[in-house]
Amino acid sequence: MFLLDDILLWPITNVVDVLHSLAVQEMYDTESIQSDLKENQLLYEIGERDEAEYERERARLESELDAAERARERLSDKVVVQR
Amino acid sequence: MSSHLYAYGVIEAEDLELDVEGVEGEGPVQTVTFRTLSAVVTPIDDVDVERTDENTRAHDEVLREVMMEGEGRTVVPMQFGMAFKSARTLKSVMRGGRRAFRKALMDVDGKVELGVKIVGSEDGALTREDVAADVSERLVAVSDEEAENDLYSERLLFNRSYLVDRDAQEAFGEVVSELEDDYPDATVQYTGPWAPYNFVDVEIEAQ
Repeated sequence: MFLLDDILLWPITNVVDVLHSLAVQEMYDTESIQSDLKENQLLYEIGERDEAEYERERARLESELDAAERARERLSDKVVVQR
Repeated sequence: MSSHLYAYGVIEAEDLELDVEGVEGEGPVQTVTFRTLSAVVTPIDDVDVERTDENTRAHDEVLREVMMEGEGRTVVPMQFGMAFKSARTLKSVMRGGRRAFRKALMDVDGKVELGVKIVGSEDGALTREDVAADVSERLVAVSDEEAENDLYSERLLFNRSYLVDRDAQEAFGEVVSELEDDYPDATVQYTGPWAPYNFVDVEIEAQ
C-alpha cells in the first residue's frame, strides 16, 4: 500500500512525535503542578503561608492541574505532523 | 446498607471495633478475619473512593488509631483506595497474599514510621548535600531503616522516612530536637507516627 511512504516518513514522524510529546509534557506538566501543590501544603504547615494564601494557591493549582490533565488526555494520542 | 468494604491495612488476627470515622465518614472500624490475619475495614457505598484531603486524612487516622489503641499493635498499611465488593473478595485477596502479609507483619513488628523534612530558608546557604550526609547519619543511628522521599520543592533540603521501634521513638525525637538546634536557619518538620507505608512491599492483585 503506502509502504514506501511509510518508510520515508518514518524518521520524520518519529522525531515530530517525540518533539510533540515533549511539548505536551512541558506545557501540561502535571507532575510539576503536583509538586507545587505539595510545596504549597508544606509552606503552610511550617507557617510560612497563611491560610488565605494557602487556600488561594491551592485553588489556583488544582484548577491548573485539572486543565492540564484534560489537555493531556486530549492530546496524548494525537500526533501533529508539521512539514 | 452496602456490603462493600474499604480496607486500611492488615493486623494479626483480632476482633477489633474502634469508634473512629473512616473514609467518607463511615464507621465503625471493624475487622474481617482470614485465619491468622485480620483486615481493618469500614463499610463503603462505592468501590471508587475519591482521593480528597478528608479521605486521605481519615485513612491515616484510622491506621494511627489501630497502631496506638490499647497496648498498640503492628499494622501493615494498604495504600489509599483499596475497596472490595464484599468480605468474600477481601478474604480471597488475603488468602492470595497471606505469605506476603505475614512477612510484612514480621518486618515491621513493633515499629512505626516517622518522617523528617528539613526546609531551608528562602535565601539559605544550606545545600542538600551538606544536610543529607549529616542528618541521615544521625537519624540512621536511632532507627532501623531509612527511606528517601521525593524532594518536590527547591526549598526542601531533606525528606526521609524512618522505621523506628515503638520504644525508640523518644530517642529519635531527641535527635530531631538536636537537629532543630543545630540548623537554626532551617525549619525541621517532624511527623508521625505513621503506619509503615514506606517499609512494606505487598502488592495486591486485582481480582
